[in-house]
Amino acid sequence: MSFSRLREQSKRDVPVPANATPRLHASGIGKTFSATRALIDSELKVVPGELHGLVGQNGSGKSTLMKILSGYHAPDPGGRLEMDGSEIRLPLRVTDIGRHGIAVVHQSLGLIPQFSVLENIRIGRLGAGRFTRRIRWSREREQARAVFERLGQSVNLDQPVRELSAEARATVGIARALQDYEPGRGVLLLDEATRALTRRSLRHFYELLGGVTAEGASVVLVSHRLEEVLEVCDRITVLRDGQVAAGGVPASELDEPSLVRLMLGYTQPAHVRRTRAPTSGGDCVAEVEGLRGAAVEEFNVAIKRGEIVGVTGLAGGGFEDIPYLIGGATPAQSGTIKIGARSIDLSDRRRSSIEHLMSAGIVLVPEKREEEGLVLELSVLDNMTLPRMGEHGSPWYTGRGWQQAEVEEMIRRLGIKPERPGALVSTLSGGNQQKVLLGKWLAGSPQFVLLHEPTQAVDVAARRDIIEALRHESDRGCGILISATDVGDLALICDRVLIVRDGRVTQELTGELDQDQIVEATFQAAPAGAAHT
Amino acid sequence: MTTSFEERDPRTPAETAVAEPGAEDVALNAGSADRTARSGEHSWRHVAHDLGTRSAIVWIWIALIIAYSLLEPSSFFRVGTFQTIFSSQQALVFLTLGLLCTMCVGEYVDLSIASVLGLSATMIPVLVVNDHWNVAIASVVAVAAAGLAGAFNGYLVVYLGVDVIIVTLGSGTFILGLTLWMSHLGEVVGLSSSFASIDLKSILGLPISFYYGLVLILLFAYVLECTPLGRRMRFVGANREVARLSGIRVKRIRFGAFVMGGVFCGLGGLLASAGIGGFDPNSSQTYLLPAFATVSLGTAVIQPGRFNPIGTFVAIYFLATGILGLELLGAAGWVSDVFYGGSLVVAVTVATVLRRRLLLSH
Repeated sequence: MSFSRLREQSKRDVPVPANATPRLHASGIGKTFSATRALIDSELKVVPGELHGLVGQNGSGKSTLMKILSGYHAPDPGGRLEMDGSEIRLPLRVTDIGRHGIAVVHQSLGLIPQFSVLENIRIGRLGAGRFTRRIRWSREREQARAVFERLGQSVNLDQPVRELSAEARATVGIARALQDYEPGRGVLLLDEATRALTRRSLRHFYELLGGVTAEGASVVLVSHRLEEVLEVCDRITVLRDGQVAAGGVPASELDEPSLVRLMLGYTQPAHVRRTRAPTSGGDCVAEVEGLRGAAVEEFNVAIKRGEIVGVTGLAGGGFEDIPYLIGGATPAQSGTIKIGARSIDLSDRRRSSIEHLMSAGIVLVPEKREEEGLVLELSVLDNMTLPRMGEHGSPWYTGRGWQQAEVEEMIRRLGIKPERPGALVSTLSGGNQQKVLLGKWLAGSPQFVLLHEPTQAVDVAARRDIIEALRHESDRGCGILISATDVGDLALICDRVLIVRDGRVTQELTGELDQDQIVEATFQAAPAGAAHT
Repeated sequence: MTTSFEERDPRTPAETAVAEPGAEDVALNAGSADRTARSGEHSWRHVAHDLGTRSAIVWIWIALIIAYSLLEPSSFFRVGTFQTIFSSQQALVFLTLGLLCTMCVGEYVDLSIASVLGLSATMIPVLVVNDHWNVAIASVVAVAAAGLAGAFNGYLVVYLGVDVIIVTLGSGTFILGLTLWMSHLGEVVGLSSSFASIDLKSILGLPISFYYGLVLILLFAYVLECTPLGRRMRFVGANREVARLSGIRVKRIRFGAFVMGGVFCGLGGLLASAGIGGFDPNSSQTYLLPAFATVSLGTAVIQPGRFNPIGTFVAIYFLATGILGLELLGAAGWVSDVFYGGSLVVAVTVATVLRRRLLLSH
C-alpha cells in the first residue's frame, strides 16, 4: 500500500519554484535552554503554495523551531524571520502570529473537550454586541460555518468536541487555525497534528491541505510518519541535533532509507559495542508481566542476570512510561513484577510504593534531572545518599562515614568533577549532574535498574562514563532496562531492544544491533500500524 | 567540544566507513550532540562570599549595638537592656519553631500559628481559673489541642490537597473565634505564681524559658542536619517529586510537620500564659508577622537560602535589639510594625535573590 493517491490529490502538477520569494524564511535561529542548545543556527525556507515537511528524531529541535515560529519560545538573539520578503521582528508574540499570517495546529490541537465545536472555533474571536456587550451567537455561527464550507467539511457545530472522532477533531483544530487566513497567503504550521488520524481519514485530510495550498497558502507539516511525509510533501527539511541536516530537499529526490540516513547522520558502525557472553542461559533477575497503565497497553519482559534491555519508539507511544510504571512512580492499572523470590502487584498502590520496590532492589533513574532527580541547591553528598537514609545509621544520627565512603566511591567510579562531596549540585555541569543522579541509585547496589534517557544532553566524556558505569552494574549481575530515544546508545549497550508502538511491543531486535536498524524499526512501524485501523 | 563532532556532519557513507582514531568517542556519542556548556569551578571568592553573607546579620547586629550605645550611652549599653532583649522573646521563639516545621517541608504560609498559640495560652487560664482544673492536666490538654489544630490543618492541606493559605487563614480565624468565645472576649488571668516559675525562674540572669528556646532550637538544628528525618524534611521542602521518587513518604512527613508545628505553638502558648499569669486572646495576632519576619530573615544567616533554626534564633534577637534601641531613642510603638514588616519584605527579597544566584551562578 502506498500513499500515491494522496499525492496526486495534494501535490500540484507544476513543481513549486524554489527560487520564488519565500513565504516564510527563518534563518540563523538558535535556542538555548540553560545549558542545552536545542537549536543551532537553523534555517527554514518555505515557498508560496508548497507543502513543506519538517522531520527529525525526537529531540532534534523540530518542536523547538515550531514553538519559536508560533511565539511560545523566544529564540536566541541573532535570528531572522521574513514573511513574503518583509522582515518580522523576533521574538514573535503568540497574540501577533495571526497578524503575520502564521497559523498553528499543535499536536494536542488545543481544543476544550466539553465545549461545542462552535465555541472551540470562535473562542478568542468572539465579538460582542454594540450596546448589550452580549455575544451574538448567530453571527459567530455563520462565521464558523463559512470556515467549514471553505474547507469542504461538514461538522455539527453544536456537538461537544469530546464526542467527535479523531479526524473530526483534527478538522476542527485546522478550521480554527485557518479561519483568519486570506486565500493565497499565510503559512499553516501542523505540529504532529495528524498523529491521531487513521489512514482513511488522512486522505481526506490531505485533500483538505491540497485545497489550502492550491489557493497559494503554504503548509509546514511536522510528522513522524516518514512515508506520509515523502508522499504528500513537496520539499523536506531535516533537522538533526538542533541543526539543519538537509534544507528544502525536493521529496522526489528522497526515499525512506535516505531520509532516515539524513535524520541519523552518518555515524560510525557500533564497533565499540562490547562482545559479551550470551546471557540467554542465565536466570531471570526480574520478570514483568501484564503491565498496563499510562500509555502502555501491555508490556511483558523477562530480564536475565546482567542483561541490558532497551525500549524505544515514537514519542507518546508508551515506551517512555515503562520505567515509571515498573518503578512505582506512576500508578499501574495492572501488572506484576517478580524479583528474586518476591512477586509484587504493581497495581497495588501500597505494595508497589517506591519505598517498597526500592527495598526489593528496584530503582528508577528518572529523566528530568532537575524536577525529579536531584535537588540542585543541596550538596552532592546530600543528594546521593538520600535513598539509603533508612538502611544505615540510626534514626538519631545519619552517620557520616558510610555517606562519605559511598560518595567517594561513586565520584571515583563515575569520574564526577569536582571531586568534592560537599559541592552543591547546581555548581556541577549537566554531565556531572547526570552522573550524580546515576550514582545516587547505583550506590545502593540494586538488582534491577530502570532508566529513562540516561544520557540526554550530556557531553561525550560523561556519556562514556555513564555507559561504563552501566556496564559495570551489568557485569555485577544487575538487570537493566533503558527507555530512550537515543538509538546510538541503545545500539551500543543493549543486549536487545524492544520497539514499542501504541503501548505494545511490536518488534524485538537482538544480536548485533546497529542504530539504523533500530531507527528503521521505530519509524517503519508507523504506516503499517496506521493501516490496521 | 570535541573535534569528532565537526567531523561527523558533512561526510558521505563511504568516508565514514574508514575507521579513524577517536572513533570510540564518535560512536559513544552517536545520535545526539554534546550540547552542554558549563564548568563546575568553585573558587575561594565564593567561599569568602559565603562567609560574608552567612554572618552578615551578625555584623549588622554588632554595628547596631555600637550605634545605639554611642547614641544612648546612658540607657542602652547596660546589662538590663540585654536582659530585656533576651528574656522577652520566648513566645516568639516557640512560634517560629512551629513555623519552621512547616516551612522546612515546603508549606510556606501557615497563617494559623498565632491563633494556635493563642488557643493554648487561653485554654490554660480558662481551665485552671474558671473551671478549676489541675494546672498540669490543663497544660497537657492545651498543648494537645494545639497539636490537634495542626493535625486538622495538615489533614486538609496534605491529604485533601486544599491550598495551605486558604486553610490556615480560615482555621486561624476560626480558632481565634473559639478562643474569644472561651475567654468571653477578654483577658483571663489568675494563674498561680508557682506556675509562673516554669517560665520566669532565673538562671544566670535570664529566665529559664530562654534556655528552653535555646535547647529546642539547637535540637531542631541537630534533627535537620544530622538525622535521616531532617534530611528527608529538607528534600521534601526543596522538591517534593525528587523526594517521592527517592522513596520518601512525602505526605507523612508533611502531615507530621503540621502536627509538630501545632505542638510548638502550643508550648509557646503555655509559656506565654505562665509568664503573664493569664492571657488576652486579642493579643495573639500580634505574634504572626514577627514570626514570619524572623524566619525569613533567618534564611539569610548561617546557611544562606535555607530555612534554619539557628539563623532564625539570631534574627529574633537582632530584631528585638533594633526595636528596643529605637524605643529607647524615643520612637513610639509604631516602630515595631515598621521594623518587622520592613524586615519581612527585605528578608524575603534578599533570600529570593540569594537563592536565584545560588542556582544560576557558576
